[in-house]
Amino acid sequence: MKATSQEVQDSVKKLFEDRRISHFVGYEAGSDSLRVTPCFLKSGQAVSRLVWNPLCANNLAKYLLDLRQADGTVGILVKGCDSRSIVELLKENQIERDKVFIVGVPCNGIVDKEKLLTVLGISPGDVVAVEDDGDAFLVTTKEDKRRVGKEQVLRGECLVCRYPTPVIYDVLLGEAIPRLPWVRDDYSLVRELEEVSVQERARYWNKELSQCIRCYACRNICPVCNCPECIFDKKAPRWLSKANDISENLVYHLIRAFHVAGKCVDCGECERACPMGIPLRRLNKKVEKDILELFGYTAGIDVKQQPPLTKYQVGDLDEFL
Amino acid sequence: MPNIKEVQTEFKPKILAFCCNWCAYAGADLAGVSRFQMPTNVRVIRVMCSGRVPPELVIRALANGLDGVMILGCHPGDCHYSEGNYLTRRRAHILKRLLSYIGIEPERFQLRWVSAAEGAKFSAVVNEATEKITALGPNKWGDKK
Amino acid sequence: MVNQKKTRVIEKGRLTELLDKLAQDYHLIAPVQANDVSFRRVESGSEVTLNYINSVLSPKNAFFPQTETLFRFFRDDNRGFQIEPSVEGDREQVIFGIRPCDARSLRLMDKVFNGQYQDSYYLNKRKKTTLVGLACFEPDETCFCPTFGIDPASGQDVDILFSDIGDRYLVETFTEKGATLLGKFAQFFGEPRGDEEQLRKARKAGLGKMKKLDVSAIADKMAPLYGGDYWDSIGLKCLGCGICTYLCPTCHCFDIGDVNLDEGGERFRCWDSCMFPEFTLMASGENPRPNRKTRIQQRFFHKLKYFYDRNGELACVGCGRCVRYCPVNIDISQIIKDIASGKAGND
Repeated sequence: MKATSQEVQDSVKKLFEDRRISHFVGYEAGSDSLRVTPCFLKSGQAVSRLVWNPLCANNLAKYLLDLRQADGTVGILVKGCDSRSIVELLKENQIERDKVFIVGVPCNGIVDKEKLLTVLGISPGDVVAVEDDGDAFLVTTKEDKRRVGKEQVLRGECLVCRYPTPVIYDVLLGEAIPRLPWVRDDYSLVRELEEVSVQERARYWNKELSQCIRCYACRNICPVCNCPECIFDKKAPRWLSKANDISENLVYHLIRAFHVAGKCVDCGECERACPMGIPLRRLNKKVEKDILELFGYTAGIDVKQQPPLTKYQVGDLDEFL
Repeated sequence: MPNIKEVQTEFKPKILAFCCNWCAYAGADLAGVSRFQMPTNVRVIRVMCSGRVPPELVIRALANGLDGVMILGCHPGDCHYSEGNYLTRRRAHILKRLLSYIGIEPERFQLRWVSAAEGAKFSAVVNEATEKITALGPNKWGDKK
Repeated sequence: MVNQKKTRVIEKGRLTELLDKLAQDYHLIAPVQANDVSFRRVESGSEVTLNYINSVLSPKNAFFPQTETLFRFFRDDNRGFQIEPSVEGDREQVIFGIRPCDARSLRLMDKVFNGQYQDSYYLNKRKKTTLVGLACFEPDETCFCPTFGIDPASGQDVDILFSDIGDRYLVETFTEKGATLLGKFAQFFGEPRGDEEQLRKARKAGLGKMKKLDVSAIADKMAPLYGGDYWDSIGLKCLGCGICTYLCPTCHCFDIGDVNLDEGGERFRCWDSCMFPEFTLMASGENPRPNRKTRIQQRFFHKLKYFYDRNGELACVGCGRCVRYCPVNIDISQIIKDIASGKAGND
């Protein structure tokens, strides 16, 4: 059974009471019935604000970086993907394990708001609630309740998720989910592009990345983008002109894709954050695929594993002789 | 955004070669001393180790209009700093594939191993790169057509 | 003398043709469907989509582009410098489909670019652009323009207003500029039939339930909140990206940079965001807004107080873009409510 909001609230209240945590990061209802927003608590008083439902898309692991300065232990609610980001942060010594209390919730898929509205032909104001119902979502509208098959409305990253249950946690709320039934081919998005010509790909990416407004939301929302001074903020040398054109945009996205290589766990936040709808997962997934094929490495599973680009094997593939 | 290519009637590529101090740069020197013929398209920048070349430097160079970027280093196992070139190797695999995926012909970025004694190889590598990249034409980074 | 308030109609079927003709004679900017809807240059009516509530990026790009060359410079034969002003954007423009909220935002931008300092780049475009608005009858939950005295179905700030009243568009002209444009394409427009007002009234029925927040004396209510704890959790949540500022139709901060090459270069200006950490970073390393709390506080103070104190108007038009697209759902309408109710002072 999937954990309920009530179970999350009770669990967090107890953690505060037992003084296991001094802060908690979770989700609370947002500005309309299809949105949630990060919730920061410093005591058990307001736990009733916490929710856990199929709208909880945010990867809260990013906030652990800011809360490093907090006194005491920081509690956090994580789904499978979010927990993998935490594994990456631990690998890089960005956070200390004993200063974080991880409340894991196995996740049965997060709904893509836009897909849901399109498939049901409704607008956000019509929706009252969205609940998990096994292989479907149960959407309560002002008029009635509707069941919509998950595969039609899941977020892209959920359609290929192999880790629905958190891989690291201090307490797990709800039954572990061994696998998600709809998950098949992880890399079809990438393969489709690999199979066309270089010129086709150039046309595709130039068209998509021309729309980039360099708001840096993708970088800022990404938990593994955590350099104290980002290369793109450096003034001397300046790597990127502030001017927004396709040439500079390509530089930005290529460098970022490379910098998160081997760290990206495909939580999908970059693509969700992008206001221009750029298919960023399609870019990062390519690097993920190459790293898996070349080095047999998957990010965010085992804290003891060394990041793939910081190590080598003498027998590594060598095309460069 | 203006780039550094001059207007020319016949395309002559501008290629950058990062050469590691201990092997490739010495190899380049040997090629020169041995009077091997090499086109002048390839401009050398000496680095202490091929592992010192970050992928963003290659990306920035291509974005600035260079038609090709090469990294030349010691053969795996012979790195002056023991391991630098092993890391270069892994990085280069990912970078090459990523560049190709985003629409930059993979031949524009090359990693080659050239030892201090391989003057002939340096010359051959430079010639080959120039030929290949001339055939590809000018770098169309960010060109929508 | 052309009757400026002349009302006309155009059959829906003829709109594409009109847009085709407009695109031929002017630099026509209209909504285009890409991944989402944006205002872009179109060369034919078929590229235009009218299936949108509002675009992702506001049409401010047409007056204040994200990146704009100011001038070019190059060495001359005497080793001196020549400067060549940019003529980018120096053309007659028509923006078709601008919503009343975005049209109002231009009046607010005018206070910045046509105030104490005259910004010739912005003003030149503003002068040479005719605004053809599209009335809004089906806003979404994030819209709250009535809060700022904007009627989503009226042409207060445009030259011409198109209103979709069913089988045709009601076309109203409000300015000399609008009348001139309409006059050039008179063959497309017909006389009103008499039932237009009724039809429009019916269409406006849904607008009554739009959010109209209490912003009375909000600038004064904000003063005691400066430095307060209310901004802590908002600052913590905030990612520090530029989405709200870049999408906002009234945000106007910019940076200036040079592209320097041996043979010359150009000076450009580009959008900047107060949300970025280096926005107030000084050469000494000192930063008066060192964290996201101070920066997010500044944003709301600017929109709801500082701009008002200086110009007599609030710098928000209730378009809802920042609410819709903020990845962590920071909601200015909620913040306005918290300030008006006093909750912000008690947190």
